[in-house]
Amino acid sequence: MKKTILNLALSATVLAAAAGAAWADTATKVALVPGGPHPYFAAWEKAGADAVKDFKLGAGDYRVPQKWELSEQSKLLESLLTQGYNAFLIFPGDAVGTSAVVQEIVDNGGQALALAGCLKDPTPALFCMGTDTGNSAYLGTKELIKAMGGKGKIAHFTGFLVDPNTQLRIDAVKKAADETNGAVTVVQVIADIDAPQPAEEKINAYLAANAANVDGIITTAWVPAVTAANSLRKIGDKRIKMVGIDHDEVVLKAVKDGFVNGTMLQNPYGQGYIGSYVLDKLRTGCTLKADAPWKSNALTKKFIDSGTVFVDATQADTYVEAMRGISKTLMASIDKDFLNCK
Amino acid sequence: MLHIRRNQIGEWDHVRIVRMPLTPKTPASEAAPVSMDRWPVIQRLMFSSEFGLALLIALTFVIFAGVLPGFTSTFSLFTIGRQIGIDTMIGLAMMTVIVTGGLDLSVGAIGVCSAMAFGWLLERAGMPLVVAVPIAVLFGASLGFVNGATVVRSGVHSFIITLAGMSIFFGMMIFLTKAEAFRELPLQVQGFGKWRFAGVISSLLVVSVATCAALSILYRFSSLGRRMLAAGANPRAAEISGVRTGRAIINCHMLTGGLAALAGLMVTARTGAAVPSMAGQLGQDWLLPAFLAPVLGGTLLSGGRVAVFGTLLGAALVNIITSGLLLMRVGEFWIQAFLGFMLLTAVLADRARHVFLLRRGMI
Repeated sequence: MKKTILNLALSATVLAAAAGAAWADTATKVALVPGGPHPYFAAWEKAGADAVKDFKLGAGDYRVPQKWELSEQSKLLESLLTQGYNAFLIFPGDAVGTSAVVQEIVDNGGQALALAGCLKDPTPALFCMGTDTGNSAYLGTKELIKAMGGKGKIAHFTGFLVDPNTQLRIDAVKKAADETNGAVTVVQVIADIDAPQPAEEKINAYLAANAANVDGIITTAWVPAVTAANSLRKIGDKRIKMVGIDHDEVVLKAVKDGFVNGTMLQNPYGQGYIGSYVLDKLRTGCTLKADAPWKSNALTKKFIDSGTVFVDATQADTYVEAMRGISKTLMASIDKDFLNCK
Repeated sequence: MLHIRRNQIGEWDHVRIVRMPLTPKTPASEAAPVSMDRWPVIQRLMFSSEFGLALLIALTFVIFAGVLPGFTSTFSLFTIGRQIGIDTMIGLAMMTVIVTGGLDLSVGAIGVCSAMAFGWLLERAGMPLVVAVPIAVLFGASLGFVNGATVVRSGVHSFIITLAGMSIFFGMMIFLTKAEAFRELPLQVQGFGKWRFAGVISSLLVVSVATCAALSILYRFSSLGRRMLAAGANPRAAEISGVRTGRAIINCHMLTGGLAALAGLMVTARTGAAVPSMAGQLGQDWLLPAFLAPVLGGTLLSGGRVAVFGTLLGAALVNIITSGLLLMRVGEFWIQAFLGFMLLTAVLADRARHVFLLRRGMI
């Protein structure tokens, strides 16, 4: 009996040692980790797979925490580090709280970028790449105001309050409205509704009671955009103008059918693809230029805008080309302005 | 007469009113249940929840160590141990109130509120660490007192009171802090969270093991602990025997609040910042680990029985399995379902064990 137990223990040790050797791989293994499940990040999966193929990476895996919880994301990141991933593209579960686990990644020889949302400075992340959310919301509101004829009342539907981008979006919409000198006012901001149930409940209830008192809707989060587009289609009244966000089929179809005036596209595919490329370059000898033309936002002074574009009915079928163009330009800019490769 | 004693498998769980012998001739065995000493130590050990858990932990550890790359790496063992430390403390916070037959849904909210108070004391009030830590723990205990006193005074089940408490505490915290994190904490805070003994043992795990030892002493050797158990096992009997059950229940809630605060401070040490979202919306993220660890460990949901080190083992089992499944790349969404299944199985298995022992007259 004792001999059997001893044999089992020895076998386990040998297996663990062999596995450990395999684990210590030096190829760039990228993990793309959002804060939780959300359709916005779905494009990261293809971006990672394409990056593996195009840049000969060891891995480019999209791994989703089971819930929008800081602790769940931290556990997943620790596990991925244990599995041998050495390059991380992370949407921070919390602009401050995620820094500790990123520090552990760095302490253990990994590298990390904040992707689609930023960590608050000072941070061990190399930099942040994402949509300039404030600018996107500002431009979208300007388009909406144009569609409304320069006057009227706006309702703003937006995302999670714990998302560091949400406050930036609220401020930007207000800024665009304020620039009209009172001709346009933001009469309602409904936040924390970037999930189907609260979005359905709150948007439908609001429109049922106040549709007659609203001239325009701006949405700055994925699920509210889908829900509001559906609601306007159901109401069937094209008097209320709307500018959405992102490229959900429901929103794009509503744009084509005239229920929504346009949508502000972000670039999640480009974020994942270019982020993987940059991390691989940085792991294989390149460095970040000291005089790189970083932008800044409320959270960080090292920010790269991954691009945004307004798409209306005339471009709804060709938006992919528009985003590819943005990604191509960004890629060239990264090589030229941000990386120092010998 | 009040009997608070170990049963034959060594659990501190029973409070009985036993008719005292009217005459000295009455055999002692008729008046009191069979002494636990009649059962061999090994038999008692083998029927304990802790023994089964320890076996399961050893088995899963050996399997994962054998088949998973990196599972036994220093970093992996350290992070598993650290998470066990945090989950154990959260579990102990819930266990101390489950003892009364109640529960506390506000453990997460109390933990976050105490952590934010801790951050404020250090960053804004400029207090030294040695002062801020006990004040934060006392703050947690005071929130527990609010829960306990409301439960006792109103007579409403703790489920409702602590559900309301969860919203009130968390809402007040968000209002007062404007959801801003405190991250300019002394370096010793994060340093403590990263501290390792022998390269792999997290300081947070050491804190939890020390807390388990202290709680074991409380429940085994102090009259305060025994009164808490008595109030949970059979409140009426305890009351008749002179135990002030209301006060015991309030004490349990205060202990819960203090331990939840400690858990909040441990998470703060881990992240290096006091973050309002550390336990999710309203602190609800802590609810599953809070119930999972003590219930797996053998704490009875109906109250009166406590399994302190069982809670530690329960947290260890959950974290080893979770970590192993993550390394095996089992879909992250399945892990949550698995943990729920585990909780259900633990409750049913404990029920089956109880019936088995009852039929054999062992309890």
